[in-house]
Amino acid sequence: MADIIHIPLWQLPLLILMPLGCIGAGVIYLRRLTHGKQLPRGEDPDWSVPPLADGMGATLLHRWDVRAKILTLLVYSFAVASLRNLLPALFSIILSLAAMAIARVSAVRLLSRLLALSGFLGMLLVLLPFTVPAHSGDTIFLFGGIHWLGFNVRGLLLAVTIAEKAVAIALLMEPFLATASLPVMLNGLARLGLPEMVGQMVLLSYRYVHVFLQEARRMAAGMRVRGFRKRTDIHTLYAVAGFLGMLFVRSFERTERVFDAMHARGYAGRFPEQGEFRLRGRDILLASAWILAGGALIAYDRIIL
Amino acid sequence: MHISDGVLPTYATVGGYVVSAALTAWSARKIRSDDLPKLAVVTAAFFVASLIHIPLGPTSAHLLIPGLTGALLGPPAFLSIGLGLLLQSFLFQFGGLTALGANTLMMGIPAVICGWIFQRFKGQKRMRQAIVGGLVGALGTAMAATFLALLLVTGGEDFLGVAKLALLAHIPVITIEGIVSAFTIGFLARVKPDLLRAAFMPTEKVRHG
Repeated sequence: MADIIHIPLWQLPLLILMPLGCIGAGVIYLRRLTHGKQLPRGEDPDWSVPPLADGMGATLLHRWDVRAKILTLLVYSFAVASLRNLLPALFSIILSLAAMAIARVSAVRLLSRLLALSGFLGMLLVLLPFTVPAHSGDTIFLFGGIHWLGFNVRGLLLAVTIAEKAVAIALLMEPFLATASLPVMLNGLARLGLPEMVGQMVLLSYRYVHVFLQEARRMAAGMRVRGFRKRTDIHTLYAVAGFLGMLFVRSFERTERVFDAMHARGYAGRFPEQGEFRLRGRDILLASAWILAGGALIAYDRIIL
Repeated sequence: MHISDGVLPTYATVGGYVVSAALTAWSARKIRSDDLPKLAVVTAAFFVASLIHIPLGPTSAHLLIPGLTGALLGPPAFLSIGLGLLLQSFLFQFGGLTALGANTLMMGIPAVICGWIFQRFKGQKRMRQAIVGGLVGALGTAMAATFLALLLVTGGEDFLGVAKLALLAHIPVITIEGIVSAFTIGFLARVKPDLLRAAFMPTEKVRHG
């Protein structure tokens, strides 16, 4: 049978709601803080220097061969995602922090990656303790004897473990991906067997996301000038639909022109490759070390614990 | 709502990658290879569209638009959605690297089904197109929410409660998506009916001077 600990109902706000409220307020505050910093409003993001490669420093991770880097990231991420216990997942965060320290990545971008995760993980942290079924050996806090409102500690641990794994992988994305420019990375992926067309599509989409964001921003500014304010009503939905429709019409028209222009410049199905690829001993060494670390985490998770 | 890393069991993440890779290949074959760069540009527009937030009482929800994507693109929608999610996890904030395959299935399959339904039942009248568009928009999100719940349940019985609540939480979003899709399709039927004709494939080649 599960251990049941009774707690008076009036302590529910104190023990559960207040900590949650504090975390939520913190997240909202950070979101406000980072919001303006990503893109200076009204300024074109400079495509020629992809943000993926800012601060091309010469750290260990920057010099690492892209192919080895991508493979390592994939294998290691799957290893981390399959962990089941709290402690190994915590170690994986420490390893990610080490990678961050080595690559010296932008703190703002890291923070915004974490904030993007906060919604889903917050939902799990709130819901899982109250919804996991009670097993024998579980510790359950019952508030005021309301039997459907049992706070199961196992659920909380499960949610925390998931959050740790998600954070560990999210923290790795910046040091691994932001240390090579996008075209170089895509060339690396092509060398690994990804169809070349996919890489080109990513490159084109990425470029045009910025163009359409700019366009969307301009259209939104026009709507604001004409007195449009977003509310929860049917008029807002109608206006948003017109906005979407216009965006699609413009994008479809644009594709024709873009493609004509590409043809005019001699596009024949591929972009020239940038940079050279050399797999040196130390690239392989670093990759093996990292993957071994992932293997060690799994061994710790499955065999020792 | 996308699934983050660390939730799904390994067989679900790896399986998600395998199945979505196969479907992506199928989807890519539904389009002339010359048109792939065009699809990339259109994908960017859908990506931007999915960033739009709509106020919902005290909070706000962002659009998912699987139904609308499917209705406008047809089978290539799967490729387009996969590309969008790849961009999102690589370059923009949201991670979910290991869950990428599963997330693509969750949004891509509803899009392709919705596209088929829209093309089959849209008829000729503008009003009818808007109504079918709205139904397809609501259906796309409802199917995506169902996929989300099913995927969460692969994590075991512990996730059953979360899956149910996630399904419930999508009800207002489904309504909004339906209405916005109906209005959007209605707008396109008035402004540029060509776009509603046949999936992707811009029909005639227009010369630009």
